[in-house]
Amino acid sequence: MATAAPSLLELQRAMRASLVARDRGLYAHVVERDIDAGERLGIYRNTFVSSLTRALGLSYPAVHLLVGAEFFEGAARIFIEAHPPTSACLDDYGEGWPGFLSGLESAASLAYLPDVARLEWSVNRALHASDAAPLDPRRLEVLGESERAQACFVPHPSLSHLRADYPADLLWRAVLEEDDAALAKLDPGPDPVWLRVQRLPAGVEVHRMTEPEWRFGAALCTGRPLAAALDDAQGFDASALLADYLVSGRFTDFFLAQSI
Amino acid sequence: MTRQLPFPLLPTRGGRSSIPAKAGVGLRFRHHREVLESRPAAAWFEVHTENYMGGGTTLATLDAIRRDYPLSLHGTGLSLGSAEGLDRAHLARVRGAVDRFEPGLVSEHLSFSVAAGNYLADLLPLPLTEEALNVVCRNVAEVQDLLRRPILVENPSSYLEFRHSTIPEWEFLALVARRTGCGILCDVNNIYVSSCNHGWQPSAYLAALPPAAIGEIHLAGHSIRQIDAMRRIRIDDHGSRVAPEVWSLYAEALARFGLVPTLIEWDTDVPPMAVLLEEAAHAAALIDEVAIGNGRALAA
Repeated sequence: MATAAPSLLELQRAMRASLVARDRGLYAHVVERDIDAGERLGIYRNTFVSSLTRALGLSYPAVHLLVGAEFFEGAARIFIEAHPPTSACLDDYGEGWPGFLSGLESAASLAYLPDVARLEWSVNRALHASDAAPLDPRRLEVLGESERAQACFVPHPSLSHLRADYPADLLWRAVLEEDDAALAKLDPGPDPVWLRVQRLPAGVEVHRMTEPEWRFGAALCTGRPLAAALDDAQGFDASALLADYLVSGRFTDFFLAQSI
Repeated sequence: MTRQLPFPLLPTRGGRSSIPAKAGVGLRFRHHREVLESRPAAAWFEVHTENYMGGGTTLATLDAIRRDYPLSLHGTGLSLGSAEGLDRAHLARVRGAVDRFEPGLVSEHLSFSVAAGNYLADLLPLPLTEEALNVVCRNVAEVQDLLRRPILVENPSSYLEFRHSTIPEWEFLALVARRTGCGILCDVNNIYVSSCNHGWQPSAYLAALPPAAIGEIHLAGHSIRQIDAMRRIRIDDHGSRVAPEVWSLYAEALARFGLVPTLIEWDTDVPPMAVLLEEAAHAAALIDEVAIGNGRALAA
């Protein structure tokens, strides 16, 4: 069968279609000798799927333990085909996995699973986020009061605030520590938690907060000006929490909001 | 015989050590702590560039290891063969790693791994055509311009050939080196695996490579997948000791290329560091034989 030779671009897109969607368009261009094209391309597809499954397993070890290897690999294959990576840095791969799990009918009985996955993604980001020098609190001290009121903070790249419907932190910790006693005691029913995740020198910290504290911390990290965030804060010592954020290196910089 | 590389191996900044013409070991995460605590007698280490992007403890650990060992950065994600051009964001991350770790060598593969914006997580074979040659040379030149240093390009293992390929892989690699000034990372195991899979002559492959361009050699184990009673294919899985046939081919490579930094790679079921050092000692003994032979030739 004579087939016109594809351009390099066409060939590479056909290879993508072969690996991601098991498309056969590339077969005609492969030398077969005594091994057919499907068998040869299958070797590359196996590596594609197994490398990405391994990458997901490294980022989501608790999900892997909760659902077991067979279920994880089956779900991963569907996810990988629907969402192949867009970066060669596989630490960045799998952001969509928690959302994918929440839509997966076969995992519906584990209602807490997407929350555990979202926590694992925050932990993964905290592990791999860029290094950044903390904001020197003295830079705030030299501001006038009206300027300080307009300060908007830049969070450390490893910091995130996460709200979960289920006690994802307890589940996550008990599963990874293989703490069967803790798991047995857990009520996996809805019980919302407000979490802060950050890389510290000793490792990644998953810290449970009260809802008002969490709202304040999350507002500061999404650019809410300081005075407005303080005004919103009720029922706890917001100044003390702000001081904690400053001395714990949770911010790297600030800018001044435009005065209205 | 002393070898002249086509570029200076000494890094341009900081005076960090270059990679010695000795046997080094591929460094994987499971050995980080052991290397920090016991400083094993490895001549040098090589890591996968993509594992050291971003920040955090892993990179800090490599900073500490880098202070005591020469280091090479070996990439798998630049996709030098991509017709769409390089992913600039990824190239910037590679540059960040090169700036941070000041490696003695920087290397990548003669393959592609990105298409239509997706990373395909493998070193995929190129059709060896004039078009692909131009694309690879353009991309290698862009990398070298941005990094302000030459890179090494490695021959991959492959499991298929394209019908419309017109240039043998060994010629293609030599042409890339000649046109771009890059060096060649000669993976002896990959030559053996691809030669078995495609019916090439491994000795002829080595003989076609320009000795002056060879900046590094890779050695690794491979496996044999039996398709049925008659047919089998060799898989470059980096999961075992170097095969006897590959050691023989390595001795041929050293005889032809002279003293070249050589790396033991092991990525699947990574064994204790002691096993990697045993493999490196085997390579070192063969390097020493060549060095002694060179000494005798000089003395005669």
